[in-house]
Amino acid sequence: MSWDLFAVAIVPVAAAVACWLVPPSAGRALTVTSGAASFALTLLLVPASSVTAAGGWLRVDALSTVFLVAVSFLYAATGLFALGYLRPAGHRDARARYSRRFFAGLNLFAWSMSMALVVNELALLWVAIEVTTVVSALLVAIDETDVATEAAWKYLLLASMGLGVALLATVVMYDAGSVVLGGSYDLFYPKLLAAAGRFPAQAVRLSFVLALLGYGTKMGLVPMHTWLPDAHSEAPTPVSALLSGSLLAVSFYAILRFYQIAVRAIGPAFPRGALLAFGVASLGLAALYLAGQRDLKRLLAYSSIEHMGVLAVGMSFGAPVAVVGVLLHVLAHAAAKGTAFFGAGSVLRKFGTKDMTRIRGGLGALPWSGPMLVLAVLGLCALPPSGIFRSEFLIVSGGFGDPADAATAVLVVLVTLASLGLTWHASQTMLEATPGGVVPGETSRLIVAAMLVGLVALTLLGLHPPGQLSDLLTRAARELGSGT
Amino acid sequence: MAVDLAPVEIQALQVLTIAACAPLVSGAIAHLEARLQGRRGPRILQPYYDLSKLFHKETLIPADASWAFVVGPLLAFTCYLVVPLLIPVLTAYPLPFGYLGDILGGGFILGLAGFALAVAAAETGSPYAQLGSSRAMSFGALIEPSILFVTFTVALVTTTDLPYFEAAAARASLGQALRPAHLLAAIAFFLVVLSDTGRIPVETHTGTLEFGMIDEARTLEHSGPLLALARWGSAMKQLILYTILVDVFAAPWGLAGTTALGAVLVAIPVLLAKALGVGAIFAVLDNSFSKLRLFKITEFMAGAFLVAVLAVLALYLGGG
Amino acid sequence: MPALGLLGAATFAPPARSGGADAIALVVLLTQFAMLRAPLARSQVRLYAWQSTAVSALAIFLASTRHAPDLYALAALSFSLKAVLVPRVVLRLLRDAPADVATSSRLGVATTVLVALALSVFGFFVVGRVPIGGGSLPAPALGMAAAVVLVAFLLAVVRADVVSQAVGFFSLENGVSVAGLVVASGLPLLVEVAFLFDLLAAAVAFGILMRAHHSRAKTLSADVLGRLRG
Repeated sequence: MSWDLFAVAIVPVAAAVACWLVPPSAGRALTVTSGAASFALTLLLVPASSVTAAGGWLRVDALSTVFLVAVSFLYAATGLFALGYLRPAGHRDARARYSRRFFAGLNLFAWSMSMALVVNELALLWVAIEVTTVVSALLVAIDETDVATEAAWKYLLLASMGLGVALLATVVMYDAGSVVLGGSYDLFYPKLLAAAGRFPAQAVRLSFVLALLGYGTKMGLVPMHTWLPDAHSEAPTPVSALLSGSLLAVSFYAILRFYQIAVRAIGPAFPRGALLAFGVASLGLAALYLAGQRDLKRLLAYSSIEHMGVLAVGMSFGAPVAVVGVLLHVLAHAAAKGTAFFGAGSVLRKFGTKDMTRIRGGLGALPWSGPMLVLAVLGLCALPPSGIFRSEFLIVSGGFGDPADAATAVLVVLVTLASLGLTWHASQTMLEATPGGVVPGETSRLIVAAMLVGLVALTLLGLHPPGQLSDLLTRAARELGSGT
Repeated sequence: MAVDLAPVEIQALQVLTIAACAPLVSGAIAHLEARLQGRRGPRILQPYYDLSKLFHKETLIPADASWAFVVGPLLAFTCYLVVPLLIPVLTAYPLPFGYLGDILGGGFILGLAGFALAVAAAETGSPYAQLGSSRAMSFGALIEPSILFVTFTVALVTTTDLPYFEAAAARASLGQALRPAHLLAAIAFFLVVLSDTGRIPVETHTGTLEFGMIDEARTLEHSGPLLALARWGSAMKQLILYTILVDVFAAPWGLAGTTALGAVLVAIPVLLAKALGVGAIFAVLDNSFSKLRLFKITEFMAGAFLVAVLAVLALYLGGG
Repeated sequence: MPALGLLGAATFAPPARSGGADAIALVVLLTQFAMLRAPLARSQVRLYAWQSTAVSALAIFLASTRHAPDLYALAALSFSLKAVLVPRVVLRLLRDAPADVATSSRLGVATTVLVALALSVFGFFVVGRVPIGGGSLPAPALGMAAAVVLVAFLLAVVRADVVSQAVGFFSLENGVSVAGLVVASGLPLLVEVAFLFDLLAAAVAFGILMRAHHSRAKTLSADVLGRLRG
């Protein structure tokens, strides 16, 4: 099985290097193949309880496999989408250069996210996430417009400073561990988790807060979220899909690793309280801002902030049912947000603008991707049978089991508020008659295919998650509790 | 044959050393600065010749000036003669008069000297002299907080206010000398000395550019022996501040540990060497930076204040 | 009792080897303040080069006192990357820029100094409350590292030009490096080298984006970066 893990770590970077060297047409196909291969390899990892490779430096347990499924699924779907979506401008050489850089960057981005999930060490996790920041910032700026450069600069600056704080968190955690594990040791997860019960409480507390602030910046938690709407809306749409669907989840994964250690060292009360505070703030701000958006992709970006808030609040409930819900939500959000962004890309191609006040009658203009976009947005609003409905249902039921019902009530209210905003905008743009100047018809069949894949996954997660997947989620939830 | 000196004799020797060597230090710094600029520069002993020339000239007093004009330089000079009694100049152990005043007391007396000169300048009615005195008073007030915080650091480290004990603490171990609070206090005091002796970037020590003068302007109207005393006094103030900087903060080594005549006599050239070292640093700084605009001097003071406050904070909260 | 505690804190002298580390950390902190007040963008970058040199010196010092030969290699690498390469990359960009005077800070001089002091106090305070290093007295160097991190944030926030913001980020990494060296110098060399190359990659990305910003907006000011709102 370790060859499988090794392959997951190697395939995307090999694809990235290859994309740089071969002609762009081959590079496009290579990206899709690499994405599909990564997804298949990840699915093979699902039944295993834990797989180690490369002398212990690479390791996946149930928790990392969950996130790996989300990342590799979206990698595959986005590769397909980008194939149909990308239309670089300019003459042949400029187009070839753009495609080459774009696909190499895309593969490198997916690789760095996978690496963050498979490395077994807290410090290398930081390195991998820093690489994702650098690569994704350059990808955001690849269109070379004024607003893209501005968005990329804000993103790189804020995310890097947040990661600096996260590095400090790692250092403090290392120091907390040195009391038990000696002055010089590697930050392997199993070792840390086994010894965490004896770590000094204050240091772990400081480390967790710093990790929440630092990795929370990359996750888009309020008030460190200010880069997110800009970066996710100005990036090329395939990159936006990966940013919203996968990268935010990977940052959450990093926080969860610190959460695991903190729960064993200082008990669950403090970490859950901190997560609750940030989660409610994110939910609240996103819910309020969603109604007033004009830009389609910015709308989806705020929806991402909302869902990250849901993840944080769900984690703060603590009941195993809620934790399973949170992990399912990661998967469902990846599928739903990816599909929504693909639809936004389709709309962008058709109407030539992201401004929702100028988009009318999307359903008529886009006979396939229009309805699918509406379904994706409704899925994001937690309408059954979307996977998000199932996951939020699990979260809320876990919350109501808790003596503190107030947080759950707040969650429900804010999520409803957010869905109101989303649905209103969706209906404004999609329903109504198509304006005269727009020719109905899909711009690319590959876009439709990618959206179909995403919707199928979303519905599957909502109606009947495969047995092995449910098993995986339960095992991961157990890992996050105070047990093993 | 070890001759032991009585403490009173050592104290007198301290005052004499400062008074006699002050012009030498001034001259050496001026010479070094000129050399760094590629000129031949004045003789190292030039200040002595200047002082003796001034003592032979006549004294002119403005018509409207009162007794304060004459008393000012005299009072300042007296103060500068008193301060060496309080600080460790030659010896590592406290001398009897050393308990007369602590660092704050020394600071007060130096302030009194500056005040006397400022009043004397204000008496003259000359615009430039008054400009100089008002500027000197304002900037002097601005640097006060830094001096206070340096004093606080000394007091917190040694639980007394006497400079002798701070020097002893710094001598105790390398770790104690390198502790952040001590280093920060040293740097803050260095900046204070820079501003109090009128060096770049606060004031140009050479030349008489009226719009930038602060300390030099105060003595514009004095002449003859009064001017000689004022000049000598300012040279002594410079050497006193250097002495505090090296003997208390930066390099408190080489001071006499016993009352033996040999040890005390050796301490004199050691002190001179250290003072000349500090002077060399100032000379290099003079040639490396430009003078700040008058309104930007407050930013410099803010920087000195920052360092001084950090010294206290490092002690309280930083554990060092 | 607080007076007694203060007495204890006052006369206790840290051992010489930690004293050296504290002195170097002090230099790092002072350069950070100088960066906050430096008017020219070029001088900010040069101060960053000096700060990185100090961090490398700290690595060498710790290598000799803790007998960790890995740290020598780390010091050499960090010096060549952070003190030589990164400043050179940034200065080359600045050469093309029309004006090299950094914009004055959004707050006044006095306010900036006071806020920087308050942040340092907060940094010292937080570190002082947390028993790091196995419960012995907190090393002043760690408090100073925390202060450097906070003042670096202030630098990036208060100055409205991209070079100051980038230098703020780089000096934040320096602060975290100091903390890491003092506390966690036992981290395996592989990981530390990965950190450094990561920083290099980030520096390259910063350089690319700065250049892009400058070529599009014809200015280094970050005031124009306000178009995306809501």
